[in-house]
Amino acid sequence: MFSEQVIACHHCDLLMTPPQVKEGECAICPRCNHKITRLHHSNINQLLSFAATGLILLFVTTQFNLMTFNLGGNVSQIDLWQSAINMYFDDYKVLAVLVLFFIFVLPALILLLIVAFILSLKTGIGCWAQTSMLRLIFVMMPWAMVEVFLVGILVSLVKLVTIAQMGLGWSFWAYAVFCFCYAKVLTLVDRYQFWHWIDEAHR
Amino acid sequence: MNDYCRQSAASQQLANCSSCSLVSPIELGQCPRCQTQLHLRKPLSLQLTMAYLITALLLYIPANLWPMMVTEKLGQVEYNTIIGGIIVLWQDGSEPIAIVVFVASVLVPIIKFIILFMLCFSVYFSGLLCPAKRLKLYRLTELIGRWSMVDIFVVAILVALIQLEQLLNVQPGSGTVAFAGVVILTMIAAKSFDPRVLWDDFDRKCDH
Repeated sequence: MFSEQVIACHHCDLLMTPPQVKEGECAICPRCNHKITRLHHSNINQLLSFAATGLILLFVTTQFNLMTFNLGGNVSQIDLWQSAINMYFDDYKVLAVLVLFFIFVLPALILLLIVAFILSLKTGIGCWAQTSMLRLIFVMMPWAMVEVFLVGILVSLVKLVTIAQMGLGWSFWAYAVFCFCYAKVLTLVDRYQFWHWIDEAHR
Repeated sequence: MNDYCRQSAASQQLANCSSCSLVSPIELGQCPRCQTQLHLRKPLSLQLTMAYLITALLLYIPANLWPMMVTEKLGQVEYNTIIGGIIVLWQDGSEPIAIVVFVASVLVPIIKFIILFMLCFSVYFSGLLCPAKRLKLYRLTELIGRWSMVDIFVVAILVALIQLEQLLNVQPGSGTVAFAGVVILTMIAAKSFDPRVLWDDFDRKCDH
């Protein structure tokens, strides 16, 4: 899968000849044990389907309630937007926008770009944008905090369950499954693999 | 004697592209595959890391002193700091959640501060641990960095959910902005640190 003559480890800069990696195997740096690449049994289609499923689930998440709160007949409920954007009206605008980016905008953009990238590889349309798409994907990746938000929901649920009756809406379950799809996409994304696809497409 | 560690790409004047991992000569200036600027090492990595860390450390003071959440219960206003919120959780009998919040919003930032400061200083003064062990610590900071955001998300959810006028309502406190700043700045600090410097420094000392 390597088209390069030599590769270097990102964590210790050891220069090496590209390893022969078989499917299901993982190559690690002999000096610092940094994971260099991993070739999965799955293929590009599986990645495409997980990314597309994630996007659909994220859309479903915006359509229903995330949580309901019932304190002696006083009921309030929120959806995904409100959970981030309500702080906006309390004059914490920057924080509200940041939260919305971390839990929704960035994961959505990442999945969208992955789908667009794979479709562009398959059809050959928009070759010129492929490198910028990949660069964007890898820049955004560390900032999407899907799993952290899921834990945040659970913590606030437990926090409130002692004082009020709590309910979880469909959005929560959709988000939980979305979280699984997103995690699966993350494990399938491999830098060397992605750039190798570009090299092949441009050859 | 070489400025860069043994068998490294940099000692051959080869740069590893930070975006696409293509190894190419540094003279090119730009990566031939993805047009990213090429550097042998991240420029100003130690200075930037230290600058972000010190800013984060300063922000960490108001993050702990200012309230994270302002709760209004039947006209009574209550201010909760990070530590205060954890104590309330513990007293309410939800010890496991108190521990989760404690780890995410107190332990993780402190561990990140200690490790990153230690890594920066270990380059200036001779190393405390071998590079492989220091690298493990660096990977730990990268792994745990984002989890401190849990507290911010909890505040966001509670603020949105609990709006029962006079009966009970929750507003975000000014501490949230400072704390979010701490989390984001320490994440940027970890990103601007270049772990390859650890190996350069180690091999330079061994050569002497």
